[in-house]
Amino acid sequence: MAAMDHSAATDDALVQAARTGDMAAFEELIARHRDKIYARAYTMMRNEDEAVDLSQEAWVKGWQRLVQFQGESSFTTWMTRIVINLCLDQLRKRKRQRAESIEEMDEESGGVERQMPVVTVNPTERLERAELRVRIDEALGKLSEAHRTVLILHEFEHMEYKNIAKTMNCSIGTVMSRLFYARRKMASLLQDLKQPE
Amino acid sequence: MKEDLQLKLQAYLDGELPATECPEVEALLAQDANARALLAELRNTSSALKGYEADLKLSESRDFYWSKIRRAISQPVTGEPVGRLSLGAWLRRILVPAGAFAAITIAVLLALPQPKGSGASFTDVTDSVAFTYHNYDTGATLVWLDYPAENDVATPNTDDTLDL
Repeated sequence: MAAMDHSAATDDALVQAARTGDMAAFEELIARHRDKIYARAYTMMRNEDEAVDLSQEAWVKGWQRLVQFQGESSFTTWMTRIVINLCLDQLRKRKRQRAESIEEMDEESGGVERQMPVVTVNPTERLERAELRVRIDEALGKLSEAHRTVLILHEFEHMEYKNIAKTMNCSIGTVMSRLFYARRKMASLLQDLKQPE
Repeated sequence: MKEDLQLKLQAYLDGELPATECPEVEALLAQDANARALLAELRNTSSALKGYEADLKLSESRDFYWSKIRRAISQPVTGEPVGRLSLGAWLRRILVPAGAFAAITIAVLLALPQPKGSGASFTDVTDSVAFTYHNYDTGATLVWLDYPAENDVATPNTDDTLDL
């Protein structure tokens, strides 16, 4: 049988090869998608070292569970779900350590966001694309973990309310509430960045 | 605006509002400028996020990043191979159920109502697995457990006898 050209193979072919124990195929998958998996971990954890460790742990779990990957979603989507779950586990551990609840945190601050004046300016206007990326990332870092997580899952991972609720182990009502407050807070933060000098 | 209406407005934007509730939100939007402004803000924020996620890249080299993963997935699966139990595990597997069975048997026998009068009795319990001897005068009870190794001695078959 001819040796596989890993760099030219599709993700599906690499997954199939990795399932049979081909580590080189798995390494190629990691090389292709490691930035995305790391980026998701970083946006959730806001810590580079933790993000690197969690992304590597996600790849190890991915290898161990390859037989469970049925191809209903893309391989990267599947891997992203794994790293998100690891990040949530890590956030819950943090919560236990500092007796701060990810389920309850900042819920009380929602009243403030609810009463904020509506931001009428589109934050994407008049800012360079790269600049806006940086600003949005900074603003995300100012949100609570719970609000940031729900925003990431909805806006970046395009998950429905019910799936977010399942992932975060909370009610759909809580998801809706957190998402609303998170968006309002983001609008406010981005508005602040755009104040005329 | 009440909170539940705000959340409905958001669900409407996200396509998550049940069809039966859409007319209520659409009527609100038609008559309330604040509702329209809030919807616009939510939409702007959402679109800003969707299109502008930070483009983060790992600083570690491919080889360095992969080396830790490779070490982890190359480790053999821990745990005792099937069929190669340690002596301790083997003893636990055999003796624990036998001991538990003996204890239950004794407890059951002691709990049974005792016949009046003196003397002694043999009881054959549960299909020859255990035998008990009880002396009513002294209150002593002895239990014999029928281990597999003893079966050959207790009930020798014809072939064994011939071999002797």
